[in-house]
Amino acid sequence: MRKNWKKITKKVMAVSLCMAMMAGCLTGCGDGKSGGSSSESGGNSSETQKDTSDTEKDTSSSGEKKGTINLWAFTDEVPGMVDKFLETHPDFEYDVETTIIATTDGAYQPALDQALASGGADAPDMYCAEAAFVLKYTQGDASSYAAPYADLGIDVDTAIKDAQIAQYSVDIGTNPNGDVVALGYQATGGCFIYRRSIAKDVFGTDDPAEISKLIGGGSGSWDKFFETAETLKGKGYGIISGDGDLWHAVENSSDKGWIVDGELYIDPKREEFMDLSKKLKDNGYTNDTQDWQDAWFADMKGEGEKEIFGFFGPAWLINYTIAPNCGGEAVGQGTYGDWAVCDPPIGFFWGGTWLLANNNSEKKEAVGEIIEWITLNYGEDGLQYMWANGTLNGEGGTKDAVASGAVMTISDGSLDFLGGQNMFDYFVPANDYANGKNLTQYDETINQYWRDAVRTYTSGEKSKEEAIEAFKQNIKDNIDIVVK
Amino acid sequence: MQKKKNKAVDTKMTAIAVSAQLKKGKRPRVSKFLIYILCIILALLSIMPFLIMVVNATRSTTEIQQHALSLIPSKYLIDNFKILTGKSFNPMVGFMNSMIISVCSTLCTVYFSTLTAYAIVVYEWKLRKPFFTFIMAVMMIPSQLVSIGFYQFVYKIHLTNNFLPLILPAIAAPTCVFFMRQFMIPSLHLDIINSARIDGSGEFYTFNRIVLPIMKPAIATQAIFSFVASWNNLFLPMILLTRQDKYTMPIMVSLLKGDIYKTEYGSVYLGLTLTVLPIFIVYFLLSKYIIAGVALGGVKE
Amino acid sequence: MKKRRNKKISYAKYGYIFSIPFVVTFALFTLYPIIYTIIIGFTDLKGLGAVSFNFLDDPFQNYKTILESQSFKTALGNTFRLWLWNFLPQILLALFLAAIFTSKRHKIKGQGFFKVVFYMPNIITAATVALLFGSLFGYPMGPINDLLVSLGILDKPYFFMQDKSVARGVVSFIQFWMWYGNTMIILISGILGINPDIYEAADIDGASGWQKFLYVTLPNLRTILVYTLVTSLIGGLQMFDIPQLLVAKSGPDNATLTTSCFIYNQAFSGSYMYNRASAASMIMFVIIAILSVIVFYLLRDRSEVAERKQMKKAKKEMKQKAKKVGV
Repeated sequence: MRKNWKKITKKVMAVSLCMAMMAGCLTGCGDGKSGGSSSESGGNSSETQKDTSDTEKDTSSSGEKKGTINLWAFTDEVPGMVDKFLETHPDFEYDVETTIIATTDGAYQPALDQALASGGADAPDMYCAEAAFVLKYTQGDASSYAAPYADLGIDVDTAIKDAQIAQYSVDIGTNPNGDVVALGYQATGGCFIYRRSIAKDVFGTDDPAEISKLIGGGSGSWDKFFETAETLKGKGYGIISGDGDLWHAVENSSDKGWIVDGELYIDPKREEFMDLSKKLKDNGYTNDTQDWQDAWFADMKGEGEKEIFGFFGPAWLINYTIAPNCGGEAVGQGTYGDWAVCDPPIGFFWGGTWLLANNNSEKKEAVGEIIEWITLNYGEDGLQYMWANGTLNGEGGTKDAVASGAVMTISDGSLDFLGGQNMFDYFVPANDYANGKNLTQYDETINQYWRDAVRTYTSGEKSKEEAIEAFKQNIKDNIDIVVK
Repeated sequence: MQKKKNKAVDTKMTAIAVSAQLKKGKRPRVSKFLIYILCIILALLSIMPFLIMVVNATRSTTEIQQHALSLIPSKYLIDNFKILTGKSFNPMVGFMNSMIISVCSTLCTVYFSTLTAYAIVVYEWKLRKPFFTFIMAVMMIPSQLVSIGFYQFVYKIHLTNNFLPLILPAIAAPTCVFFMRQFMIPSLHLDIINSARIDGSGEFYTFNRIVLPIMKPAIATQAIFSFVASWNNLFLPMILLTRQDKYTMPIMVSLLKGDIYKTEYGSVYLGLTLTVLPIFIVYFLLSKYIIAGVALGGVKE
Repeated sequence: MKKRRNKKISYAKYGYIFSIPFVVTFALFTLYPIIYTIIIGFTDLKGLGAVSFNFLDDPFQNYKTILESQSFKTALGNTFRLWLWNFLPQILLALFLAAIFTSKRHKIKGQGFFKVVFYMPNIITAATVALLFGSLFGYPMGPINDLLVSLGILDKPYFFMQDKSVARGVVSFIQFWMWYGNTMIILISGILGINPDIYEAADIDGASGWQKFLYVTLPNLRTILVYTLVTSLIGGLQMFDIPQLLVAKSGPDNATLTTSCFIYNQAFSGSYMYNRASAASMIMFVIIAILSVIVFYLLRDRSEVAERKQMKKAKKEMKQKAKKVGV
């Protein structure tokens, strides 16, 4: 397909311009009531504006710039950080032009892939990838575009050690040659986040250390967890909201990923999830909700069918999901202040954003400067310190766990929402339990099929064997891997 | 209601013969009442989602997450508006961009489709039949894969971040041509064209001055469909327009949704509500052609 | 009846001239993608950013894989089921409403309002519709569940979207609900396009409303009905966004997996199997084309065909006569 299009391009342009003018003329005399005038201006303005646009915002920083760095992201989180970088680094010699494409409706990846593949001046110099698809860009099909951090002028090995970046994050960001090509600014290692009032009611204590023991924190086994679930059930509580809460932990605890040597592999621990899920459902240990649905959010406020003890999740789940849904904004309102964090039975991580640089970029050093400031700078003037203490956009912002353990030790992670508990006490170790080695680039799709299969089993529609069979069939039909 | 009664009538008789035999005197009272009931139920079903949308535009994200459907407005309209305008993009720009794209592509679609249909219906040319068959065939191609090839093509000719690839393809709208043809066959009489020719009207002039007015109901119908489709189009603009100053309204709304940790549902609904408004206006403007039946001014002489 | 006379001056060239914009645009923006699609269906092109490809030794390998795939069979069955269950009620209701709204006898009050309102579901994006219906049927909390439990119809919330037939029913209903207004408008504009003289003649002859509908409206509406049927068939067999968005990943046990979802999954759900996706779309193309031809054949204008046959016959006879005379 990739023929010599450049030659044709000119002709095409000429013809299409003619057509545009023709369209303008004809529609003008044909039926020009509603929009004849705007159609003419539209056709032309889109041509002329092309190069003059996007300058308002970026020229604000002083002086002549050497060029422009293209940044691609799927939310305005990273662009906001880069703005802060430019603000605190007035001498930085480049403008940054941002492209944001939402991941909804699956548009970000095709657009990014295309932009990476076609290269040229519009190609991204720096781009972001989310946990759901980062593997594709670090180790999978698109890994060849990712530049090793070392090539960006970053002394990456030393910096990782000094900043105490969690190993799982480094593992995910390491390409098949062993070079680090992506790192995040967040730490998304997960803990168990539970309601203090329920803990007191059932166990007589809300001490995180005690609750950790009760649910088998760090034990690597779910036995204690289910014993406690039974206790909670006796008092009319559910232990978690739905089986989705358990899945992230189970998924991440398996020894191997979904694909081993190009073949579908169902890890025994993941297969066991079927039984765990069935056990939860049959015994009524949960409200049988699905994550990100109405009922799941209601459980954060304590308004589900029965009250729910806790959720598995990283720090961002507290800040961005549980807190806004707790039904209050100060201690005493809703479940605000009634929460605490303790160790999960099995280590895991959930979500996160990784930053990559384009191998073909001509501004690698400059990109490296930004990336280092965001992902590896552990000083008080680095991004992560501001992120951890919620000071990026002024005092009192949202605090989040960050990639650098060094930053978290000098930061204050105490939240009124957690009854004053310093969440970093549990999230720093949680990052070490998380495993970055059992992922594949197809996880998002495979997980969806797997969860669907598990649901047909727990609802009693299919036997375990039938459900697994249907799962294998789906993978075989939809993903290009060997299924036996 | 009336249907069963008439089933008995021998369907092979011609309308005139039958009507001559049967006298009037049906009673539309009961059936009319039932029709009203049906219409009201359907209307409620249609209005409900809009009501929910508007109400949700006044509710906070948290309220929506916990009870997505409610008919009781809340007090967060201004907050939602602030979130909508507080992002890095400007809804007014998106609105204008959407307007430009939708209006232009709608005009392209209806004008050129009518023209193409005219060519197929009125003129006798050798390739007429094959051309029509070809248009039909084009219509049947599943759209998913065409869009892949399409955007690769647009990337290659470097027309990303340009409205032309979203407007110009509207000229070739097979479905619309098909509709125009189907509409034109019963409603356009060659006599009119012939008399225009006798009066010395050029072919192009005849089309613009005589045929287009006759086609008004069809044009209005297809204009609505085309405008709605273009206005709501998300996938292609999202891939082709990557600069913020080119974003369309739906892209902006989807950006609000795409935030990984927190979807700002309140402002999403507000954005959706604002997005629907222009469609309403266009629809009301055009619907008079459909509703009033000004259709056949040209035919009736 | 009305056309195809007066061939003295040839206007044929205008046929070509007026078709140029369509053809040029089509060639530019559609032909390339389609050719590209057809070609890669016979190749090994897959994977992200893949550029080079080889033609397969067995050119129909992708086609075989698709036709053997269980998911594709399921998808094909679902697609027809979902289409049928939304099209039948849709066309009947739309026809009924169109007849009533255009009937001079029924003079429904506020019909302008109704016409406007019935089309409204079509103007919200599918994503929004899916979102609203998704929460309507939410489990374990959702308005429908709340209602049914509080009315005592259910004793505990029911997981509607995990139930295959409910999931399919909801998808069909949404499609029906979104499109009947659209179909109605098309039919109304078709009815308005019928020459009023015919109705006047029928009125003079004292035809009842139902008779006019049966003997004037329906026959004259045939071309528009064919349009509706064919576009709905084409649209319905490409049904994508509602099934894709309503229930995560094509519903419980692939209950609402349509062929378009299947094609999308082939191409985008991880492995970028463009070749298989394009083979699948070609298969769909063939199926849709065959069905459309059948529709055209069944609903063709028989009188026109007959007329044409007679013309041919007459011409032949003329010739034969001429020959005879010549002899």
